[in-house]
Amino acid sequence: MAERSITLAQKSPSSPGHILKRLLAVFKRVLQQLRHDRLFLILSLAAPLMIVFFLKIFFDSLEGPGFTVSRFIVPIGAFIVHFLTYILCSISLVRERTSLTLSRMIVNGYRPTEIIFGYLLAYTVLATLQTLLVLMALGWFFNLDYQFGTQASIYLIIWLLAVISISLGILLSNLARNEGQMLPTIPMIIFPSVFLSGMLIQVDRLPEWAQWLSIITPVSYANNVLQKLIKPGGSLGDDWVSLVELMTFGLVVIVLASFTLKERD
Amino acid sequence: MSRLSTGVEATAIEIKGLKKNYGKIEALKGIDLSVEKGIIFGIIGANGAGKSTMIKILVGSSNLSGGSVRVLGLNPFKDAALLRANIGYMPQAPALYEDLSAQANIAFFGAAHQLSNLKKQVAEVLEFTLLSERKNDPVYSYSGGMKQRVSLACALVHEPQVLFLDEPTAGVDPKLRETFWQHFRHLADKGTTLFISTHMMDEAVQCDKVAIMREGVVLVSDTPKNIMLLGNSAVKIIRGNTEEVFKVTNLPSQLPVLLRRFHLDSSITRIELEEDSLETIVLNLINGKTLEKPQEEAING
Repeated sequence: MAERSITLAQKSPSSPGHILKRLLAVFKRVLQQLRHDRLFLILSLAAPLMIVFFLKIFFDSLEGPGFTVSRFIVPIGAFIVHFLTYILCSISLVRERTSLTLSRMIVNGYRPTEIIFGYLLAYTVLATLQTLLVLMALGWFFNLDYQFGTQASIYLIIWLLAVISISLGILLSNLARNEGQMLPTIPMIIFPSVFLSGMLIQVDRLPEWAQWLSIITPVSYANNVLQKLIKPGGSLGDDWVSLVELMTFGLVVIVLASFTLKERD
Repeated sequence: MSRLSTGVEATAIEIKGLKKNYGKIEALKGIDLSVEKGIIFGIIGANGAGKSTMIKILVGSSNLSGGSVRVLGLNPFKDAALLRANIGYMPQAPALYEDLSAQANIAFFGAAHQLSNLKKQVAEVLEFTLLSERKNDPVYSYSGGMKQRVSLACALVHEPQVLFLDEPTAGVDPKLRETFWQHFRHLADKGTTLFISTHMMDEAVQCDKVAIMREGVVLVSDTPKNIMLLGNSAVKIIRGNTEEVFKVTNLPSQLPVLLRRFHLDSSITRIELEEDSLETIVLNLINGKTLEKPQEEAING
């Protein structure tokens, strides 16, 4: 066979503009999927409302002298968003792996960071709606009467926690081959978040080893900030150390998620 | 898309001593293959032969355990970005977003390549795969064959130079299979190299060259015509009421020898030829059956 000159198409451009375009393509596609899967979307938005409703029934039965419901309900609201965004995002990404669309994306030229950040952005849109709904429901069911500035700060912390939860979902789904391997991570997320974060019992009342374990859940940092924030006259800066820790936790998780998405097996 | 010349190369795919282990399981046991540009190369073997594993390595989706591979002269792992711009991959499963339309799926996979005329190319592959009429319907409403066509379109949208198709006709009805192979031939005629795995033995004949695999080993790699020579042919010579059957390989060269033996005997009233089909030959190879030894001595004697 006569030798022929090979002419190759240039590799996918890696300028920031091109990376952004591919990232936005992933973002747009995930949003399109969410929009088309109406049942998933409705359940994603209805589930937090239902949970808040049942919490209302539960806390009404606990109310008594000296019981401050907001001390519990605001961080629990944060936990609901944290848990749901984690579950929804991680399962979607594992589904991409089992249906081979993930490897197809990579073979087509999408890079792991573009996939991760595209997913993160798209699920942040969903988390933004969930956070808004949860806060509205909390305010309505529990008659929370915070000033606008406090409400906005609470929203910001819960939203930040939601974004971190999505990243955590992406990170752990990177380590799972299928939905079955994702399931054991659910209690791993729930139990430290509920019992070690200070949401129900203050961290300093836990055994010392358990206090150390509280650093593994982002809810503990969010709870610290929220507890100071909901006190009369509280502001975001009252526990800026926990706020920085929360953001650092998020950053570390996002970086780890980007590095652990395997291009090949 | 702009093009980048990287030298002179006659082969599209070069595989040397390729090994892949999954723990203690040896999925590929040292494969050597060379695929010229612009041909349809078929990898034929039963399930578990290692066909998909080999394709995954060639597209850079799976690591190798030993040996080396080159596609368009590029290393699928070190030159991944450049290679991915020039290859198309259709996995065994449709690997599509079922909630989205065919058009949205194709556009999404095409968007990875930053094509300047993406819309036009999406429209072209939709036309090519006969999906234009239902391009806006969600993929979950499609038949299995239509999903396969969408999957093919996703692999084609950026006009790759090498196309890896992993069992593209599995679960496809015979009529559509014929259409698929017409598509493949059309692409090869335009210069695309197609590397197709299949477990349908009769598809070997559609390829320019085939490699027959069993348990991680390539048993034979050649043109279908040459592989046909590995089969047995039966020559039945009928003289009056008597019949003699001679089994030969390589019929084109052995038949004249056989006929010379009978000196064109005027009593021969009829000669019947029975040849192993390519499917039989391939099946015999895959099943590990030794091809029946022909009666060469009887012919030459």
